[in-house]
Amino acid sequence: MKAAVDERLDGLRGSAPRLTYSARSLAALENNPRCTLRAVLDASGSDKAAIAAHAGFPTPFGQSPFAIARGNVFEALVKANGCAELIRVLRETLKLTLPEVAYQDLNDVGGNASPEVRHSRTRQLLVNTALGKSPGTLYDHPMLRLQVGGHTVFLEPDLVAFRIEDRFHVVEIKSFPIIDGRADAAQVKAATTQASAYVIALRAMLADAGIGPDAVSDTMLLVAPKDFTNSPTAAFVDARKQVATLTRQLTRIEHIGDLVSLLPEDLTFDLAIDKSGRALRPAEELAEALDQVPALYRPDCLSHCEMAFFCRSRARACASLDVLGSAVREQLGGIDTATMALGLARGELTPDADQAEMAAALRHAARLRTEVLGQADGAGATA
Amino acid sequence: MAHLEAMEQMRAVSLTVFRHRRLSAKPLVIVPLTMAGEAGAPLAAMAGTSRTAPKLLVVAQPRNRDQRFAFAADLGRIVMNYIDSHRLHRREVASRVEGPTSRYTDAPQILVPNPGGIKALIDLGRMCRYRKAEGPYPVAPVVPQLGMWLTFLAETAEQAGTSMLLPVTGMLAEHWATGQSTMEDQNLASIMGWIDPPEGLSVAQAIADAENPAVCPPAGPATSPEFDKTYLAPAIRRFDDTYARGDIAATAAAEADLRELIGEQIKPTWRLMWAAVSLLRAVPEAPRTAARFERDLASFTAYSDYQDGGGLPQRKHDGAIGAARRLSRLERAQADFEADMAFDDPLALADRRSMGEAFAGVVTGAEPDRVVTTAKNRRVPRPRITVTTYDPVRLAPGVTLISPSMPNSHKALIIASVPDGASTQILVEVTGGMGRGVVPLKGSVPVLGQHMDYLPDPGWRPTPVFPEPDSMPWTHSSPADDDPDTNPEDNAAEEWGNAD
Ligand code: SF4
Repeated sequence: MKAAVDERLDGLRGSAPRLTYSARSLAALENNPRCTLRAVLDASGSDKAAIAAHAGFPTPFGQSPFAIARGNVFEALVKANGCAELIRVLRETLKLTLPEVAYQDLNDVGGNASPEVRHSRTRQLLVNTALGKSPGTLYDHPMLRLQVGGHTVFLEPDLVAFRIEDRFHVVEIKSFPIIDGRADAAQVKAATTQASAYVIALRAMLADAGIGPDAVSDTMLLVAPKDFTNSPTAAFVDARKQVATLTRQLTRIEHIGDLVSLLPEDLTFDLAIDKSGRALRPAEELAEALDQVPALYRPDCLSHCEMAFFCRSRARACASLDVLGSAVREQLGGIDTATMALGLARGELTPDADQAEMAAALRHAARLRTEVLGQADGAGATA
Repeated sequence: MAHLEAMEQMRAVSLTVFRHRRLSAKPLVIVPLTMAGEAGAPLAAMAGTSRTAPKLLVVAQPRNRDQRFAFAADLGRIVMNYIDSHRLHRREVASRVEGPTSRYTDAPQILVPNPGGIKALIDLGRMCRYRKAEGPYPVAPVVPQLGMWLTFLAETAEQAGTSMLLPVTGMLAEHWATGQSTMEDQNLASIMGWIDPPEGLSVAQAIADAENPAVCPPAGPATSPEFDKTYLAPAIRRFDDTYARGDIAATAAAEADLRELIGEQIKPTWRLMWAAVSLLRAVPEAPRTAARFERDLASFTAYSDYQDGGGLPQRKHDGAIGAARRLSRLERAQADFEADMAFDDPLALADRRSMGEAFAGVVTGAEPDRVVTTAKNRRVPRPRITVTTYDPVRLAPGVTLISPSMPNSHKALIIASVPDGASTQILVEVTGGMGRGVVPLKGSVPVLGQHMDYLPDPGWRPTPVFPEPDSMPWTHSSPADDDPDTNPEDNAAEEWGNAD
């Protein structure tokens, strides 16, 4: 059964190499989890950015080189000299009584940087630590592994700390500032969701060694620049909710087969890339293929999904209320499109039983608006 | 409703009849740009009070502390000159709270493109307000001044209905409904595309262009990552190299290149800002805007006097009580502003009516001579009327009302609300605005057949009483309540390395 699903997913992706999930794309699962189109694209390992661009809707999702450089510089600073700065922050800012600290660099193992090798080294060290056989405290870039929809995903947290209350804590080093004890809520949320993927992966790894989930805290440690300086500060962030949400999303991916089985047999998002790297698939055909899969566009897709411009154009084309955002959507519960809402408001459409009340409200609102605009025009106001 | 029409017609439609924000005859427009990834690091700003005379300020190396503060000093001089030009004339006023006092006759108005622009000014304010003109890292005296004023202005901007610091996208969205989401409306080029697309372009083309950084550079504060990568990073590198070599002529040339590069990015936004200002100016101002402006003048004068008296910088956080007080103030301001809008603006009122939060109808019953005896044994007029409305009213008995159809002091109370087929009969008792006698003043009581608009009076809530700081339970106090100046360690901690 599973194999059949994989085959279907491979078919959907076509000839392109499979893209694996990353902590980032896993974190994106939290947004708009009910969208089938994204679920299918992600599960099949398709390149959403390339597909969107080829369908005529490239979505800019770049990161500025300044932001990348700043992130690297800050992480290096925090980790310099066996994490000296980090340890200072843990002791001074968070008032943790850390015994002496043993620092382990897991960026490569004896010069071998392959994820498998690093992962087995990580597992060996962390399991031993959890069992009290090894004294480690800070693990720099451990390599974790998570099974997502039957595929192995390697995840690499910035740092995992042990011995904070004798549990493992995921440490996220971010370069957005904590100004006067406050940081940008959206950025903290993104960091927390990313950390929750690590928490889940860590727990899975320890579970294989018979160690219970309590060994990994679901509070993460956010390390970020203090105010406008380069010196780090830290805060505990409760990731419980996001760990639970992400766990749920991962289970959904396990059931991706249910979604895939509803799609036409021969559906594919293959771009038919030839040897010179050109995509030969006609754009309209690709768009048609995408249209076969239900999407659930919302304005905040624009900030997290590469397909957003494509999906928005679809939502606009059918005058879906989704383009206006959830507030309007909720206000007009039960009505899907602007065309229908306006049709009901003008009495051109007959409401069904469920819509009767809303239709009356819409008609009333439309009448008031016309009344006012009529008067205002008469009074010469610019309206 | 308006958003639906905008979607259908593919153009912006009016959401209100009036503009509810004061628009200064001479606003100071600021377009701030920041550097990606860096904590509130200013990259550039274009500022000025006239479309044709913008001043461009550029930080050639945003990571360099001295250059940042040279920028802050330059911007500080522009902002302070502007603010000072509003501190020339005072006028005597009789304030209900303070008694006779005097106020400045005008207040500043700073316009930025979007909420992100306000955030950039908040960060800049926070970065500057604790700086000192003496000591280990001296800055120009105007820097802390700028910091304190920006912080003050940003605090007023949180409060609904104020006008001293505003995002232009917000002003546009208050008056025009587009067929897109609130988030997309925060893109200046995009919302302008809906309202007034460039010559020869359809709205659809204009809004597509607005999202293409190669055609419409973003209105900031962040620049587009693509621009950073392709142009800005190499230009900054060139500047750094020449600077490091000590080659003065080459440094000047590299700096000039950077200015030009950033100028090209910022100018389209500058032009859009002024185009937006003209569009907004063409919308008639709502009557009650003047009363709100009076409050702006009062708070501007008060803060200005505080500054003249050597005021300290604002603290980093409100304490628990301060935060609660602030929240309550903001909520109240929001309710007042919404009521003001509905009072002035038939379209805003229509919206509230559609939602059942206001109603209008004809007086179908009246008991104009009703008099009651109060607990204090006074006889007062309490006329009652019945208003028949077809609005889906959701207001319960006991709600006090105000009415744009009556003189301002008119107050009334819902006694009962009885649905009657498609209509609702609302029994209303007039409780105020009738003068002092037993016989109401002429015209102060609605008469049979009169058309009445009613909406809830936002002023009915009592001002919450908060404990004074010293009587505060210890569980709610925190070290953050300390005055920042007693906390010198923080000042010293904010030293930027030039070497990162
Ligand atoms: S942009 Fe499209 S594919 Fe992506 S989450 Fe939104 S609706 Fe789904």
